[in-house]
Amino acid sequence: MIITQMKQIFLFTALCAVILSATSCKKLDVPIESQYTTSNFPNTAADYAALYGTMYSNLSSSFGVPYWRMQELSTDAAIIPGRDGNFDDAGQYRQLHYHTWTFDHPNVITIWQWGFGGINNCNRLMNVTTGSTSTAAVKTAGIAEIRAMRALYYFFMMDLYGNVPLIQSFPVNTLPGNETRANIYAFIEKELLAVSQVLPAKTATNQVAVYGKPTKAMAFALLEKMYLNAEVYTGVPKYTEAVAMADSVMKNTTYALDAKYSDIFDVNNGPQITETIFAIPYDQQIPGNQITRFGFFPALAPAYGIPNVGFSIAMSTTPDYYNRFNLSGDVRTSFWLAGPQYKPDANRKPDLTQPVYFSGTTTQININPILTLVPGKPMDVGNTIFSQEEGVRSVKYWPDVNAIQATRLNGNDMPLLRLADVMLMKAEAILRGASPTAVNGEMQTPLLLVNKIRARAGAVAATSVDLNSLLDERARELSWEAWRRNDLIRYGQFETEYPLPNDVLSMNKDITRRLYPIPSTELKLNTNLKQNPGY
Amino acid sequence: MKQNYMLISRVKHHIKWKALTALLLLLIVSINTFAQQSGRIIKGKVTDESNTGLPGVTVRVKGTKIAASTNSDGNYSIKLEGAQYVLVFGMVGSASKEVVINGDQSVLNVTLLPDSKTLNDVVVIGYGTSSKKNLTGSITSVSAEEFNPGVTVNPAQLLQGKVAGLNVTVSSDPNAKPSATLRGPSTFREGAAMEPFYVIDGVPGMSIDLIAPSDIETIDVLKDASATSIYGSRASNGVIMVTTKRSKEGQSRLTYSGYGAVQKISKQYDMLSAPELRDYLKKNGQTLNSIDDDGSNTNWQDLIEKTGYSQNHNLSYSGSQNGADYGASVNYLDNKGVLKNTSLKRTIVKGYVNQRFFNNRLKLGLSVTNSVSSSENVYQGTALYNMLFFLPTVSPFNADGTYKENYNRTGNGTRNPLSVIDNNSINQQNNKTMINGQAQVDIISGLKFTATISTQKDQNNYSSYLNSQSGLARGVNGQAVKIDSLNKVTVAEGYFNYDKQFGKHNLKLLAGYSWEEDKSNDGFGLTTQNFSNDNLNGTNLFLSNPTALSQLIINNNPVSTLRLISFYGRAQYSFDDKYLFQGSLRDDGSSAFGRNNHWGLFPSVSGAWRIIKEDFMQNAPVFSDLKLRTGYGVSGNSLGFNAFSAITLYGTPPTGSKYLSSTGTISNAIGYTQNENPNLKWESTSTVNIGLDFGLLKNRITGSLDYYIKQTSDLIYGSYPVSTTQYPLPTITANAGKVKNTGIELSLNALVVKTKDFSWNSSPNISHNKNVVVSLSDALYHLDYIQTALLGGKGQSGIYSQIIQPGQALGTYNLWQYAGKNAAGVSTYYNAAGKIIATQPLSTDAKPSGNAQPKFIYGWSNSFNYKKWDFNFLVRGVYGNKILNATAATLNAPGDSKLQNIPRTTLGESFNDTNDYLLSTRYLESGSYLRLDNATLGYTIKPKVKNIKSIRLYASGNNIFVITKYTGIDPEVNMGGITPGIDNNNFYPKTRTISVGVNASF
Repeated sequence: MIITQMKQIFLFTALCAVILSATSCKKLDVPIESQYTTSNFPNTAADYAALYGTMYSNLSSSFGVPYWRMQELSTDAAIIPGRDGNFDDAGQYRQLHYHTWTFDHPNVITIWQWGFGGINNCNRLMNVTTGSTSTAAVKTAGIAEIRAMRALYYFFMMDLYGNVPLIQSFPVNTLPGNETRANIYAFIEKELLAVSQVLPAKTATNQVAVYGKPTKAMAFALLEKMYLNAEVYTGVPKYTEAVAMADSVMKNTTYALDAKYSDIFDVNNGPQITETIFAIPYDQQIPGNQITRFGFFPALAPAYGIPNVGFSIAMSTTPDYYNRFNLSGDVRTSFWLAGPQYKPDANRKPDLTQPVYFSGTTTQININPILTLVPGKPMDVGNTIFSQEEGVRSVKYWPDVNAIQATRLNGNDMPLLRLADVMLMKAEAILRGASPTAVNGEMQTPLLLVNKIRARAGAVAATSVDLNSLLDERARELSWEAWRRNDLIRYGQFETEYPLPNDVLSMNKDITRRLYPIPSTELKLNTNLKQNPGY
Repeated sequence: MKQNYMLISRVKHHIKWKALTALLLLLIVSINTFAQQSGRIIKGKVTDESNTGLPGVTVRVKGTKIAASTNSDGNYSIKLEGAQYVLVFGMVGSASKEVVINGDQSVLNVTLLPDSKTLNDVVVIGYGTSSKKNLTGSITSVSAEEFNPGVTVNPAQLLQGKVAGLNVTVSSDPNAKPSATLRGPSTFREGAAMEPFYVIDGVPGMSIDLIAPSDIETIDVLKDASATSIYGSRASNGVIMVTTKRSKEGQSRLTYSGYGAVQKISKQYDMLSAPELRDYLKKNGQTLNSIDDDGSNTNWQDLIEKTGYSQNHNLSYSGSQNGADYGASVNYLDNKGVLKNTSLKRTIVKGYVNQRFFNNRLKLGLSVTNSVSSSENVYQGTALYNMLFFLPTVSPFNADGTYKENYNRTGNGTRNPLSVIDNNSINQQNNKTMINGQAQVDIISGLKFTATISTQKDQNNYSSYLNSQSGLARGVNGQAVKIDSLNKVTVAEGYFNYDKQFGKHNLKLLAGYSWEEDKSNDGFGLTTQNFSNDNLNGTNLFLSNPTALSQLIINNNPVSTLRLISFYGRAQYSFDDKYLFQGSLRDDGSSAFGRNNHWGLFPSVSGAWRIIKEDFMQNAPVFSDLKLRTGYGVSGNSLGFNAFSAITLYGTPPTGSKYLSSTGTISNAIGYTQNENPNLKWESTSTVNIGLDFGLLKNRITGSLDYYIKQTSDLIYGSYPVSTTQYPLPTITANAGKVKNTGIELSLNALVVKTKDFSWNSSPNISHNKNVVVSLSDALYHLDYIQTALLGGKGQSGIYSQIIQPGQALGTYNLWQYAGKNAAGVSTYYNAAGKIIATQPLSTDAKPSGNAQPKFIYGWSNSFNYKKWDFNFLVRGVYGNKILNATAATLNAPGDSKLQNIPRTTLGESFNDTNDYLLSTRYLESGSYLRLDNATLGYTIKPKVKNIKSIRLYASGNNIFVITKYTGIDPEVNMGGITPGIDNNNFYPKTRTISVGVNASF
């Protein structure tokens, strides 16, 4: 009896042991579900397209706010004053305004990571492309596209930080040291010249396909920008080369000035804009453009058809900059909001029969261009209704009625390189010593080029043009397009102060501020990097 | 090559496995034989000290399954059987007693003494039990009668103030989980990673929400690594072993317990009334915008707060006969919050059946637990914020009945709080089922094999609707969110226990294997908008009309499957109950970690010396027990990881998700979302524990003193910066930090008074822990500090209020230094250079200023019994911690009083002070408090009715008073997580609760 029981028990134990040893393995390799990882991505053409998409999604992510702020808030074109302590945000906007940023300014850190993250990503994409099973033609086109985008990221880094490391492949086994700005310049030049041979040219039929992507004209226009600033970047002027690059762009007649200035920046701008050479596409789904969020006036939102979104009262231009909009008939002036405010009509002109009041009152909104600081407070205009009205706001990038409270995004694409800029740069290069040239049978003098721009804007024609008036023309034409810092440095005017009433702080006029510092975080992580002079 | 490696590792493992088994078999030396003898009847009465008959006492013939229980008068009758004539008398709350039957004795009367933490108490230690006297590690047991009364949702609440070293913070929010930190924080990761590991009836990794507090018999808290490391990689924060009530041999039992409770808000902020605010503004030459003053006087706190009525009912029955025991219980809880529209309803059904076969040598068991809960919540962040800030000068409603709003108002009070509560709802349905099957075989005497398979299914359905009047989703005609997810856990374990006593030697061995798979986050989430009316509350997403793709949000829902495999073994040896040794080893593998570090080894050794057994102690009559314990062990922390923690991931890049494709459509970019770290591994905690257990005056006073040093290394932080000149993304998840906790814990239990009718039992405990971050860096990854607690506030975007920094404790505040008010009444601060400035300082002006970790945590439980009356109370508190009262800071903005209400305390501030709201040391307050946490008066009736064993009626109060200098609503702010001790406009009101209840057993 007992023996039978024992048998049964041993049998059961043995069974358990078998079950146990069947499961008792050390297998920890659990298949990865519902995530793309190296084992299941990339495979298809769509995978590669999505991978390439990261070059552009990264570009749009930080171009519209942190990059833009470094290029504009450090100049007279834009300012975010404190509003009774609001928008102080640890002094980051006033540091930009007074050139007192430090190596741990949030924009300085973010944009470095954005740029080098973008560059590293391009290098990785080159590995992936080279290792793919695509045809040689597909690979060549892909590599050219990646190199052009990498050159663009390098251009941003060289323009902002100057002496940055040069990384051309992935993985990076040793932490790279700095290169001189001139070496980076030379690298970008070499890359752009090389890929301009391979990149597609915009045609009448491929404009959708190449929109927001590198094209021959993008490479030429960027080279023109490089050559125009070559003296700043390398000490060696290249004005003739700048003119040549402008002509290379203009020879392609699919690029033409659009009849309506406002179309270029409209919510629905896109491939149909004939003068855009390279734009950063934005949409409610492509985040990054928050121009309206910061640069519009919130109490006007209902009148502009966006009643449910609370915009910020933060950003405006300075009186100095606004005063440059002094040409009669100039449509470009009308996109600044100053004085008594009216609801815009169908043509986006103020409808004088429909004044806009502060909600629940009969007080008409009246924007005062003068920014008067509260005595004793650093760059703070106060936060009364009256002081909220201080500062000229902008609707150049027309407010997007599809904006929602959660994101406060604009769908307006932001042009980075466009024909008007190419033309003004050419005019400037000539004024700086290059010879005028003819394009498509037309001899282009600086005056001719400037007046083409003015004519499109409806402004009075200029009778003469010199370097200073050209800088003002650039201010009017290219306001809030993220070039002001670049222009002022080239003109040696980056250190020109434009004090506000009751200003207790003053600008750091050290010319070492023409370069941003290498961020503290990066110096710590990469001990081979050396800080820029002056920091 | 890879194949070969696999083969080798498998062979290696098999050798290890076989060695363990062989070791066990070698040690098996004898087989018991079973003798059958016919018996005779023994009768008697079991009484307590006052000679009152004790009903429900189990009487067992030792070494057999024969058992009986006493009737309502305490009488019993039992038939003797087996080789030994020893009767064992036992009852919950009393020391069990063994009596040898003399020759032909037929009557045996016994007196049972109440339990004063007797040393023979069984303590659950993981894959086995131990008597308290044989423990070598630091373990605290809390049994049902010691649990905190009141409206308890989660078992952690039962332990508050009862366990030295366990810091539990409880919110009055019915849907909030309490946070529990044992012996100080030892990780930088929040959530599960910081909480103790729960084991329910021996099943590791199950959700603690499955257990109704009234079904719990005991909770054992395993504190030091020599006790916990048998749970290896998940035991760093301690292990809480929950044992549910089971039927006793030969007994059948039916019990009902229930209570009803009234919860009231214990404290409100003293905000200005509308006339007071108008008056204040007038005095300062200000007037409200006409839209912000309609002549009303609204108390927003009163409008959205209410009295909560809660109830709980628990019915359970169990029985045991013919080698089977079984039981079932149903528990229903309805907990209404004190904030409108917050509540929790939960039903837990549990059943189990165990059957023995083959002369008791095989036991098969099955238990099933199902918990269904339904909770109602509001957007608390916005509601609690606006309840304070919203202007009292406007009425809640417009004349047409719509909610009154002024969306153009800036400042902090921009959303009508009543509208936030009424027009935005959150509903959550949760359904958890745990099934546990167990087989236990007595192979030969002393050798037992246990196999268990457990599964848990956790289905969670979240839905939220922001209706067309919602100020949180304006102009979208209703926004609905639905998120469904399923989490499944499967655990299979098999282990051998071998217990053998020879002479004075006592040996216990354990060897086991465990396999676990967690599949989580299987589901979807969708947000859509634009409904033609609000009548469906967003329950049917199909009826929405999103007009753009951006209005349809699909959640990222990666399904994570995680596998954990473990081998473990433990040996316990004692000589003469005097010298005790224990060693354990666990080898854990987890797929969460990097391919180079899948496996981790967690050893422990400990020993104890029962000094009381030494001869020289016989001359120290004061001592009735004395034991010195010491142990060292390593445990790990892998909680809170998913299957993707260490690998390269492609997905929506963190920097920009969409791009314009060459066809002109907006497409998803797919890029790197995570840098790979093949070296990612366990956080490991090594603990040295020295403890002393003592009993004085025949154990009238017992206690434990423990000292520990707990060092955690390889701390994981998710955002170690790496150079973007080297990596595609700027951060990596890596192990580099080190944290140290040192502490001392003292628990006492004293039977202060004991007379025939009256007894007073008093149990104080106090613990001290010192937490210090030792390092954040190693050779590869470097951080000087980690800034945490981004609290926001006017002009303070991007300003952090806490810092994790070597040399400082976790939860150290990093704040601007308040320097008082200047002659003009404006708040001034010290800048980094030490200069006093009257403007807003810079982020670099902040300095470390105290921390949120308490120096002492204490609790003091008392129970009094007088005849049929019992009275219990618990005083508990913390001492020496700081709270950042960011609520008070943000409220204190006199200059904004046109936009937001201000508290009465602000009346003393200058209207021109534009710096007073800045988060600074001014708002760093002492968080010390002493709370009379609960007091209960009970009366037990033992009617002389045949079918009723006892009925206890009680009334209980919770949070009766609190003594504190803290000026906010309550000092019990969340102490868990990496940003402890912050009160930032989101404090769910603390309640004061009165409950009345009944416990009846039949």
